[in-house]
Amino acid sequence: MAAQEGEGHGSWLGFLFFAINFLLFVFIVVYFAGPPLRRFFSDRASTIHSNLAKSTKAFEEAEALARAASQRIAALEGELAALKRELEEETAFQLNRISELARSNSDRIRRDTEVTATALVGNAQRRVRENLAAAAAQLARGLIARHFQAADQNRLLDGFMNRLGLEARR
Amino acid sequence: MKNTRVARRYARALIELAEKGQLESWGSELERLAAVVDSPELEARLASPELSNTARQEAMAKIAERLNLSFPLRSLAVVIARHGRIAEASAIADAYRELVDQMLGRERATLTFAVEPSDEEKSRVLAGLEAIAKKKIIPTVKVDKELLGGVVAELGGKTYDGSLAGRLHEAQLKLAGQA
Repeated sequence: MAAQEGEGHGSWLGFLFFAINFLLFVFIVVYFAGPPLRRFFSDRASTIHSNLAKSTKAFEEAEALARAASQRIAALEGELAALKRELEEETAFQLNRISELARSNSDRIRRDTEVTATALVGNAQRRVRENLAAAAAQLARGLIARHFQAADQNRLLDGFMNRLGLEARR
Repeated sequence: MKNTRVARRYARALIELAEKGQLESWGSELERLAAVVDSPELEARLASPELSNTARQEAMAKIAERLNLSFPLRSLAVVIARHGRIAEASAIADAYRELVDQMLGRERATLTFAVEPSDEEKSRVLAGLEAIAKKKIIPTVKVDKELLGGVVAELGGKTYDGSLAGRLHEAQLKLAGQA
């Protein structure tokens, strides 16, 4: 009975002892490990919040890009059509310009050729006339040198005196 | 290049020294002097830098003496040597002749005949030119067979061409379409 009492009494003391030990343990744990744990969880929470905000922002940006890409794809058809029209217009303009340039060049070359041909013909005619005139003069010189007589000199002097007389009367 | 202004100054000075009857004789003396100093060998020798100015003056005095020039012309020879104007001698002679011609109211003409002219032919042409210039003409007569026939007269910078060569040239130009 005493052993039962002693066992009963000992068990309450032991319980109390363990309870106090446990409370001490809890106190020590809370006292020493609490603040670092709180800091850790607080840091972790802010990191998770920041990552979450970054992810949300990246997601929104990706969504905006996707929207812009789909808009651009939608506008691409129109842009292509405008580009094609522009290219066709430019090609027609260039073709027209080249054609006009070719026509004006051809006109200029024709005019130049005509002028050159006229000049060449003129020069050739002039040279022929000069050669003929020189040959005729040479022939006349020879004839005069062979057949010139005193009477011819007198006639020339008479003509010359007439000229001088006219000059004197002027 | 001959300095005409300087030459005229020397010529005028000589004319002012001359009496009326001396103008012609001094003119011919001046032309003789100019002809001698104008000869290339003498001109080169007188212009040589090795010759001193005094020696140059003495040489000119000797040349003038050898040419038997009158004293004013001898003095002129020395003066032009002293002033380094020996190269202007012919220009001085030309200017002198021109000034004397002006004073005496006459003009010079060059008559170029195709054949040697008779005195009568020269006189006819001269009379014609004098009628134009209304002055006495002093002619220089030349013969140039290249003229073929006729005569060419040069008077006061104007040419009167009565030659066959001239007519042929005109005809040639017309035939060539250049006249």
